[in-house]
Amino acid sequence: MARAVTTNRKVINTAFAWGIGLLIFFPILWTILTSFKTEATAIADPPVFLFFDWTLENYQVVQERSNYARFLWNSVIIAGGSTVLGIIIAIPAAWSMAFVPSRRTKDILLWMLSTKMLPAVGVLYPIYLIFIELGLLDTRIGLVIVLMLINLPIIVWMLYTYFREIPGEILEASRMDGASLRDEILYVLTPMAVPGIASTLLLNFILAWNEAFWTLNLTAAKAAPLTAFIASYSSPEGLFYAKLSAASTMAIAPILILGWFSQKQLVRGLTFGAVK
Amino acid sequence: MATTRAQPDFRTRLQDWLPRIVLSPSIAMMFVFVYGFIVFTIYLSFTDSRMLPSYDWVGIENYVRLWGLRAWWTAVINLGIFASLYIVICTAIGLSLAIFLDQKIRGEGLLRPIYLYPMALSFIVTGTAWKWIMDPGIGIENTMHLWGWESFEFRWIKDRDMAIYTVVIAAVWQTSGFVMAMFLAGLRGIDNEMLKAAQIDGASNWNLYRRIVIPLLRPAFLSAFVILAHLAIKSYDLIVALTGGGPGRATELPATFMYSYTFTRNSMGIGAASAVIMLMSIAAIMTPYLYAELREKK
Repeated sequence: MARAVTTNRKVINTAFAWGIGLLIFFPILWTILTSFKTEATAIADPPVFLFFDWTLENYQVVQERSNYARFLWNSVIIAGGSTVLGIIIAIPAAWSMAFVPSRRTKDILLWMLSTKMLPAVGVLYPIYLIFIELGLLDTRIGLVIVLMLINLPIIVWMLYTYFREIPGEILEASRMDGASLRDEILYVLTPMAVPGIASTLLLNFILAWNEAFWTLNLTAAKAAPLTAFIASYSSPEGLFYAKLSAASTMAIAPILILGWFSQKQLVRGLTFGAVK
Repeated sequence: MATTRAQPDFRTRLQDWLPRIVLSPSIAMMFVFVYGFIVFTIYLSFTDSRMLPSYDWVGIENYVRLWGLRAWWTAVINLGIFASLYIVICTAIGLSLAIFLDQKIRGEGLLRPIYLYPMALSFIVTGTAWKWIMDPGIGIENTMHLWGWESFEFRWIKDRDMAIYTVVIAAVWQTSGFVMAMFLAGLRGIDNEMLKAAQIDGASNWNLYRRIVIPLLRPAFLSAFVILAHLAIKSYDLIVALTGGGPGRATELPATFMYSYTFTRNSMGIGAASAVIMLMSIAAIMTPYLYAELREKK
């Protein structure tokens, strides 16, 4: 409901809005900049903002000390694996609800979303006990399964909303032309569904990547992803400010890149569809 | 088309049933995962399970003992402080930012993602970053001292009485931009004509927002409340990264209480009872909301 405003007001508003933006972004920006400084420059008095000798030394030290690459690889496997598995299971369900809706479809969807809001502590014991029983503690496969189950409601629901936007007439037309169910899915539905699937993939990758309750509680050393990596660095003792910054920059870099492309999905997914 | 199906063969019958068949694995999985496991947790809360589950029924004893624990009361009171401040401040900041951004700001396309960025990060990252920022030794306090403001003091994170407010600060930073996006979508959905009419009738800006815009945003307020409330009750990772529940037990929330009580004190029964209470409080917030949603869409 944007309204016309005077030029003067507009300039003030713009300046103010950008000020707030800078304030919000400052902690991230500062961390990234500090990660390229030497320890001495990082605590220099007065602090230097941009004009210092950029160095990659901190990144090297962090990698040597705590094997960043292994945590990163675990994160990729866990987030990627759970997302892909979830999508494979969810596509048929979403397809069914979007194209062959029944009286109960709306109820089922809301029920699914409601399960996503329940706290993880409610299912911690059974999962923990099953993990002990099956020897899944500190394994990547265990986390892939748990994170898939955690995010399945969101995946099904997001796919559903995207599939719903595909006009049903096109499917009917293809059926009239004698397309079999297989042809229909392969040649008509899939090409139109790809953007929606990609969006869902992106959002759930981020959600799984950020998931900390389960990754912290169900892993120790072998399968620990980046969330555990950051948590292990979270003690500021020793004042290795630049190295801490390098560690956290490495941990958030993938999200900083993916996040830029996924703002819409983020809002849509995390508000449970209240905002499209 | 229906006439060709007068005598359904196996294939067409399969085709008719297919939607239900492919839907069932997802539903079954969620059903077992959520309800099956929750029922198990509820069951545990009525047994004298310690380190391992036991199946000796003790009735409501765990609940009685839970509510007699100082640490649990601390966690509940902390949640009360945290949740109310978090919800109110996020809503206020989110709404103001949305109203600002709605005034045809230059570069809005670039600003929106910046506001939203914190929400894309893990609470673990937010917690860690703010732990440093608010740490007296390396954070704001130290920076101010370096800049020559020697008397500046900001050590809430080390202060038992104030530490819970540092959790609010970090959480507000993470979520405000996201709440802004929700309100912005709400604002953009409001009919321009109505506002023009009100303006022509001489309504002041203040009245315009108070009497027309804010009432029209009711659905956005409701969603924001439900989302923020359930995030607050679920809060776990932020506490773990930011304060670790400390200093002492000063910032323990129910979720961290449940975890520490089970795994460091071997009281699964009491932990389960606290989980059940958390489940019930979220259900109490969610059920009316879902009912409203359902009625609206039917």
